[in-house]
Amino acid sequence: MLSKTSIERILSAALSKGGDFSEVYIERSKVSSVSLVNGVVEGTGSSLDMGIGIRILEGDKCVYVFSNDIYHEDKLIQMAKNASASLSDAPSDRIVYLKPEIEYFSQRCEISPTTVSKSEKVYKLRKAGETATAFSNLITQTAASTSDLERDVWIANSDGLYVKDHRCRTRVSITAIASSKEDKQNGYYAPGSGEGYEFFERLDLDSLAEKAAKIAVTMIDAKPCPSGKMPVVIGNGFGGVIFHEACGHALEATAVGIKSSYFTGKKGKKIASSIVSAYDDAKIAKEWGSYEVDDEGTPSTTNLLIKDGILNSYLIDKIGSRRMNEPSTGCARRQNYAYAPTSRMSNTFIANGESKPEDIISDTEYGIYAASMGGGSVDTSTGEFNFAVNEAYMIRNGKVCEAVKGATLIGKGDEVLLNIDRVGNDLKLAQGVCGSVSGNIPVDVGQPTIRVSEITVGGQA
Amino acid sequence: MDNKIREYIDELLKQALKEGFTEAEVYYESDSTMSVSAREGKIIQFENSDTTGLSFRGLYNGQMGYADTEDIQPDMIPFLLSQAKDNCSVLEVKESITVFEGEKEYPDYNGFSDDLAKIDYEMLAKASLDLEKEVLAYDSRIEAVDDSNAVYSSGELFIQNTKGMICESRNNAFFAYLGCRAVEGEDVQTYGKSWCFDHRSDFDAKKCAKFVGEKVIAKLGAEPVDSLKTPIILDRFAANSLLGAFSGAFSAEAIQKGLSRLVGKLGERIANEKITLIDEGMIEGSRLSIPFDSEGVATKRTVLIDKGIFTSAIHNRKTALVDGVESTGNASRSGKSGLGISPCNLHFENGDCSQQQLFEKMGNGIYITAIYGLHAGINGISGDFSLMSEGFVVRDGKVAEPVNQITIADNFFDVLMKVDTLGNDVEFFSPEASRIQSPSLLIPDVSVAGK
Repeated sequence: MLSKTSIERILSAALSKGGDFSEVYIERSKVSSVSLVNGVVEGTGSSLDMGIGIRILEGDKCVYVFSNDIYHEDKLIQMAKNASASLSDAPSDRIVYLKPEIEYFSQRCEISPTTVSKSEKVYKLRKAGETATAFSNLITQTAASTSDLERDVWIANSDGLYVKDHRCRTRVSITAIASSKEDKQNGYYAPGSGEGYEFFERLDLDSLAEKAAKIAVTMIDAKPCPSGKMPVVIGNGFGGVIFHEACGHALEATAVGIKSSYFTGKKGKKIASSIVSAYDDAKIAKEWGSYEVDDEGTPSTTNLLIKDGILNSYLIDKIGSRRMNEPSTGCARRQNYAYAPTSRMSNTFIANGESKPEDIISDTEYGIYAASMGGGSVDTSTGEFNFAVNEAYMIRNGKVCEAVKGATLIGKGDEVLLNIDRVGNDLKLAQGVCGSVSGNIPVDVGQPTIRVSEITVGGQA
Repeated sequence: MDNKIREYIDELLKQALKEGFTEAEVYYESDSTMSVSAREGKIIQFENSDTTGLSFRGLYNGQMGYADTEDIQPDMIPFLLSQAKDNCSVLEVKESITVFEGEKEYPDYNGFSDDLAKIDYEMLAKASLDLEKEVLAYDSRIEAVDDSNAVYSSGELFIQNTKGMICESRNNAFFAYLGCRAVEGEDVQTYGKSWCFDHRSDFDAKKCAKFVGEKVIAKLGAEPVDSLKTPIILDRFAANSLLGAFSGAFSAEAIQKGLSRLVGKLGERIANEKITLIDEGMIEGSRLSIPFDSEGVATKRTVLIDKGIFTSAIHNRKTALVDGVESTGNASRSGKSGLGISPCNLHFENGDCSQQQLFEKMGNGIYITAIYGLHAGINGISGDFSLMSEGFVVRDGKVAEPVNQITIADNFFDVLMKVDTLGNDVEFFSPEASRIQSPSLLIPDVSVAGK
């Protein structure tokens, strides 16, 4: 590991030929995974990832260099100098001194996953696969896996900040596949947590396996989903992916700071139905998307994005802060040292409303009930988003009827938020991985059951 | 390659044999990338990186264990060996596969261009500034450039094992991306495209900007159409995306695990007679050529679908052994947990219709130029898809008004059966080259959801 004085020399070298701010991010991670298909261990791996990223800012211009050789200080100083040279020619002999180290524990794992033998994990994963298979003779395949990460990061910058953070996450996934002659459908659960092996140990994987199998079996009998515009009731938990795509990304400084987002200049204005309030909250204890300190060394916050339909706050990182003239909200994140950090989401969710979920259904004459959602994507300039529905049912006369498959929901972010006409009181969070400019990062999405009065449903029928 | 790395790999393999591994292999990759982005006439982002990764695998008690590190220091050797052993301990099915002794001969191919190696920061900076400038000059309705980016990367790949096999290759590449935004009243449209250039002199900012400019302006005024069943033409970009999304169905690994609809279909008709699907390692004159796969097997030309008949899956040595066939040279290192399978250069054979002839043949329908949400809106096993799309209405064989906010929904395997006509526009060469290639496809009777 580089010493504090080495880091000071690198930070100083990074400013030697230009730039007004320099930053060093060092990371060392242990990653391990094991996966089973049909009860047989399919893949198992362990890796040690390590590297350093050096960032220099000049106004809102960013230079980022990275390497996974952290042993040769001379080479890193040269790299920092070269990076600095691509900035405007303003030589400086500024010497950076770091303050005492502040240590954070974004996560504390009680049982370090690397201390647990893989065979313990395999035993439980195999049992879950057997539970799913036993659920129905339509279940023909199962997949079960777990992966965990333990990471130490050091963040230092030319303002003298010197931060160390400990991070740890565990995720488990179970998939059940049901088959008919020409069709295969799957059911899937993938809970995660900001914890170590204790999360895996505590998890009732068998009941998740049964639930996954039930979805697969239900969907194998499903008819093709109808297409056209109609009301859609979106279930709680992972249903929150609609807010993540349709709104969350467009509130990131990455888009707002360069005025490309359709929410640019909308602060204080109504952007959603007045029954909608939403948060990005990185401070929820042990949650998958949480952290104590962000990847620029700024402490995390509970950020009220939308209050009663009014846009209250954006997601702002350091460069965004410079572009937008507002303070950072502590949301700078990155997949690893290979990415410069930028504004990202943590645990993003629509807050509880007043409706009972069963009343939302019984108030709907005709439409789709999207019980569980898949992933999606968005263009933050136009607001066009799409996402897939994994488990859907028709609603007729206020009742949930037959299952329908192959539905995709599309729309425009600014329209869909205004079209939310019911918000339930059953808020739930769910875990996912969000991909964007600074790589893939763990995030939670979430919402209570909601209804959108009209949205385009794309199905095969 | 650095001599120190060679010595490190020799030492690691030696230690592995000493520690009880009966055979072992090291897969080493290094990469250097320089990326420059411009916005509003300035360089806004510059990235430069040097990374290396080393993957070890070894046979221990009859099991193949894997471990990876980015930290290439002598004290990491015990970590790699102990992790690989622990990973072996949970594998209960005896591994039938061993490391490969190597081919007698490999295709002669040099992926490293001395011309591209002359690319420096100044050239990338100028390229990204020029792209932005040219597209803004193309039309006053193009309000901003969200990403104007030029990238040079070079890398090395080295595989060595205890059976004496050594495979090595070097490559470099020059990419550019331009994404912009056009605004007219309340209407905002975006378009982005990337290119891969074989020579420095192939880069033409004006030409790239004109392509992107035309596309984004044509989208202005786009609206959904009514929901209906209609013939569609997927242009080659949309068709490439669709083929790429379902290419996993042809992997022998997916088929052997029952995770593909092609289980038990070998030798049967899975497409109509117009469809021939080929995977090629070496393409004469293309910088996308791959001489050997991740196990060191020489790549080949494999016909997957021959005039509609499913003739072969793509294999690595492990799946080939199970099926009693030869590896097709499609082993890939997938993530950090072992060996996978992926196509080299997968393409449908061209049909004989020009794009204009396709429009005339369709008469009325929708011309789809982009599909979105491929990571979510497909069922890779059943073949079902429902994807947000955009394009144009085609009326009386002519391209008419733009369309967006629609979905197209069908089933990939049904599409293989019902494709009416294939275009003749597969592009193997720079700057349009990509590893998945389909010509434009005219498909009858597809569900479109809109208004």
